[in-house]
Amino acid sequence: MNKALHPPTMINTKEPIIQVTNLGKAVQTSEGVLNILTAIDLTVQPGETIAIVGASGSGKSTLIGLLAGLDLPSQGEIILAGTSLTDLDEDGRAILRGKYVGFVFQSFQLLPSLTALENVMLPLELAAHQAPEDAAKKLLDRVGLAERITHDPSHLSGGEQQRVALARAFATQPKILFADEPTGNLDSHTGDLVIDLMFELNQEKQTTLILVTHDEHLASRCDRSIQLEAGRIV
Amino acid sequence: MTILRLSKLATRFLISDFRKGELTILIAALIIAVACTSSIGVLSDRLKRTMTNQSSEFMGADMVVRGHEVFSLSWLEKANQLGLSHGRTVEFASVIIANDELLLTSVKAVSANYPLRGRLKISDGGIVEEKFAEGIPRSGFVWVDPRVLTHLKLNLGDSVEIGEKQLTIEHVLTYEPDRGGNIYSLSPRVLISEQDLEATGIVQPGSHLHYREMFNGTEKQRLKYSHWLKPQLTLAQHLVDINEDRPELGSALRRGEQYLGLTSIAVIIIAGVAIAMAARRFSKRHYDTTAILRCLGLKQNEILGLFGMQLLLVGLISGLIGVGLGWVLHLGLFHLLESLLPENLANPSLTLLLLGAATGLAVLIGFSLPAILQLKSVSPLRVLRRELAPLPPSAWLVYISTAVTLFALITYHTKDLESTLIIGLVGLVSIALLSLMGATMLKFILRMLPHSNFAGRLAAQNMERNPKASNSQILAFGVTLMAMVLCSIVRTDLVETWAKQLPEDIPNYFAFNIYAHELDGLQKALATNNIKTSHFYPIARGRLTEINGTGIREVSKKNRQTERAAGWLYSLTETPSLPEGNRILHGRWWNNSPPGVVSIEQRTAERLGVILGDQLKFTVGSQQLSVTITSIRSVRWDSLQANFFLILSPGTLDQFPTTYLTNFYLPDHRKAELNAVSKVFPTVTLLEIDIVIEKVKTILKQVTAAVEYILIFALAAGVVVLFAAVRASLDERIHHGVLLRTLGANRKLLRQSHLIEFFGLGFIAGLLAAAASEILVYWLYVRILQLPYDFKWQFWIATPLIGAILVGLAGLWTTRNISKKSPMTLLREL
Repeated sequence: MNKALHPPTMINTKEPIIQVTNLGKAVQTSEGVLNILTAIDLTVQPGETIAIVGASGSGKSTLIGLLAGLDLPSQGEIILAGTSLTDLDEDGRAILRGKYVGFVFQSFQLLPSLTALENVMLPLELAAHQAPEDAAKKLLDRVGLAERITHDPSHLSGGEQQRVALARAFATQPKILFADEPTGNLDSHTGDLVIDLMFELNQEKQTTLILVTHDEHLASRCDRSIQLEAGRIV
Repeated sequence: MTILRLSKLATRFLISDFRKGELTILIAALIIAVACTSSIGVLSDRLKRTMTNQSSEFMGADMVVRGHEVFSLSWLEKANQLGLSHGRTVEFASVIIANDELLLTSVKAVSANYPLRGRLKISDGGIVEEKFAEGIPRSGFVWVDPRVLTHLKLNLGDSVEIGEKQLTIEHVLTYEPDRGGNIYSLSPRVLISEQDLEATGIVQPGSHLHYREMFNGTEKQRLKYSHWLKPQLTLAQHLVDINEDRPELGSALRRGEQYLGLTSIAVIIIAGVAIAMAARRFSKRHYDTTAILRCLGLKQNEILGLFGMQLLLVGLISGLIGVGLGWVLHLGLFHLLESLLPENLANPSLTLLLLGAATGLAVLIGFSLPAILQLKSVSPLRVLRRELAPLPPSAWLVYISTAVTLFALITYHTKDLESTLIIGLVGLVSIALLSLMGATMLKFILRMLPHSNFAGRLAAQNMERNPKASNSQILAFGVTLMAMVLCSIVRTDLVETWAKQLPEDIPNYFAFNIYAHELDGLQKALATNNIKTSHFYPIARGRLTEINGTGIREVSKKNRQTERAAGWLYSLTETPSLPEGNRILHGRWWNNSPPGVVSIEQRTAERLGVILGDQLKFTVGSQQLSVTITSIRSVRWDSLQANFFLILSPGTLDQFPTTYLTNFYLPDHRKAELNAVSKVFPTVTLLEIDIVIEKVKTILKQVTAAVEYILIFALAAGVVVLFAAVRASLDERIHHGVLLRTLGANRKLLRQSHLIEFFGLGFIAGLLAAAASEILVYWLYVRILQLPYDFKWQFWIATPLIGAILVGLAGLWTTRNISKKSPMTLLREL
């Protein structure tokens, strides 16, 4: 049976949206096995906002990559929206991501070939939305970029690019939003504006937010923080 | 995602990439490949068909069916239905008696519209006063070979009796367009009208007659008719086309076609290299996009579909533009050749144009498939960790996909499995050789550069940082330069060889039917007139009767080809040394061999199905002649010299009646001198072949022009590869350049280091190309084109220099922005 074909379609709101048990990630290096993450247990409830904090190299990005199904763990289990990620193949995880997950990255990761509007339309089109253009325009209007919709990413400032990325992330009304250092490439003022917008949208759409950050102030705005140190939750 | 949405997205990506110039090289390479294939395809096809039409005057018609039986009426009706015009000749041997002299003649009765192509020439005096004839002999009249008059002591206006019919001699016949390979015929020609044939009483049941049914019509009509007719012909009937009838014309054409085909392959390979490199860069530039799309939920097959569709669109659009361009280019060439070409050109074939587009698509798919498949394996995790690159495509996949594409393309052009395998093998060996030599030379240069200035050291570091990339660039430049060098060497030599082969003073007269007792006298007479002749070949006419003791009828029952070759009356000659333009393929030429051995021409041997050691038996006059095959020769028919299918060892013809044949050159203004000679030797037949020489020269001129034209394609494709190869490493160079500039390197230093690097790469590639071309040309000349080979020292100097300059300029132009734009702007462009 093709594992890609059967992601769950309903989510029980009383169930945790993410359930992580004994998660570990190790890689083989020239000096032997390197444990990046060890024995992580984590439960995330729907609508919760969580900050993952820690020093460089503590395993934050690896954890978010695993939680979002971008990579597979060496051990343990992740249940995302009721489905075990380890039971799915790469295409199955892609479908799951398309359905439940949104992303915001430090380096924005807009598609350079597409305009702002087209970038936001893309996940809607992938999800076979009835009127992707209208929905995308509304979102861009919501993030204050109604005048810039035809611009290419390279013609937008960093803050504007991140706002387009936010609009894109919220376009399909994902259940979970993963944000990896969303203000890392922005000055503090622009960063604050983007974060305000993100939390506002998060409130509006009732999204679960998992955020990787160095910024303690930003972490304090979340419901709770998870501190990582050398691949373990402390 | 539905296909519709996917294709919309693909189009959007494509437009954006196109605007940013990402696809320029890919599109340019494809357009060149398609334009080249389609224009060459259409061009050579049209030239070939036009020339075949032109050449058809040597058969007296577009199509001829030879046989010994009367043509069935229903067959003629079918020809009529198809709109073909029809003419007929009937030939038979007949003895004419006059003034107490006997003469065996070859009588030809012709229909009113004979010849359907070309014209007869007649004269009322010597060979010099000849003129074009209007129509054919009227009923009751006859046109005769000059020998008839001299031998039978007759004059114009006298009567001769052919069979039971009295006919009046009206003109001397000097030229029949369709005399063809029968020029050594012993029997002089007598031409009569078909209307008089019955009255001669010669056509009786059992009489030995040669019928030639001649047809004219469009190519389509002829093709339709020959398809219909061929299966119904008896063993003794043959449908003839020009390639078989006049090998000297067919050979020049074939060689030209071979060259065009080889150059086509070279252009496609060069364009293929550019396409492969451009596709690799295309794929690399889309790793990030792919990772994001994977994050957004696109499946692996959808990724493949998305980028596959983009390439397909590029292929289709470039294919259409290429076909359009190919069409215009071939028209351009025809315009250039206007003065050389006849008015009625054969129609272009649309299929060949489309085949050009199909070739483009095949090259695109074959050369870019591995790069596109690689995108499928881009990990979505790359959005977080940019250094995660997909696994490189499996080496086997790259090799197999490229090899299959090349194999298919080369086979299409050579239409011969053996040549394809040889070209493939030679290609592989030369690439391996180039790689090895390239790596060695790169190491050597890298050792030298650190001792130079700072810019030189930077250049060395650049090349050293990624030796695999440097080697593959050298290989790409090397292969490209090699293909360009090959095209130009072969072109130059081909043109020179042709010019040498058909010099101004190429013998334009054949003298034959020279009897032994006339030999000394004629030689002296010609020498007195300062006419230099070639060798005097003894000729005996023999009919093949047995092969290895089995009667020819028995042998030919099994093989139609054999029957055909066996039916000919062969001109047998003997000579101690191998004539020029002949090459021994199997066996050995005789060194003091005893009489009784024969050297046979390759195609004749194939037709007869004979090999070394086989015994052939001929009837010469009333005598029998048995010979053993000791060698098989190739003959350069387009040399227009006296060429023979069968050459016997000296002494073999001693006991047989022979006449002699020679050839010589006489310029137009000295033709009158021949009259004096022919008056003294009236039985000697003189045949002027100026028309044939002109025709061959025209064909060679046409092919030469086409060959030069196609060289432009090779050069254009080569330049595109240079840019593709330089661009392939552009991102890394930008990155490196930005770092250096941030650290304080000025523009001059960067430009200098780029210049040294690219000049170095170009120089090495050029040197390798010269070496590899030398080896390849040697093989090509000796094996395929059969041309003499000379060492080409000029190319050893020119190619490295041209390589350095071309690659250097392409490199500087492509990297010009690294030293111009601000580091920040450059980084954002990455």
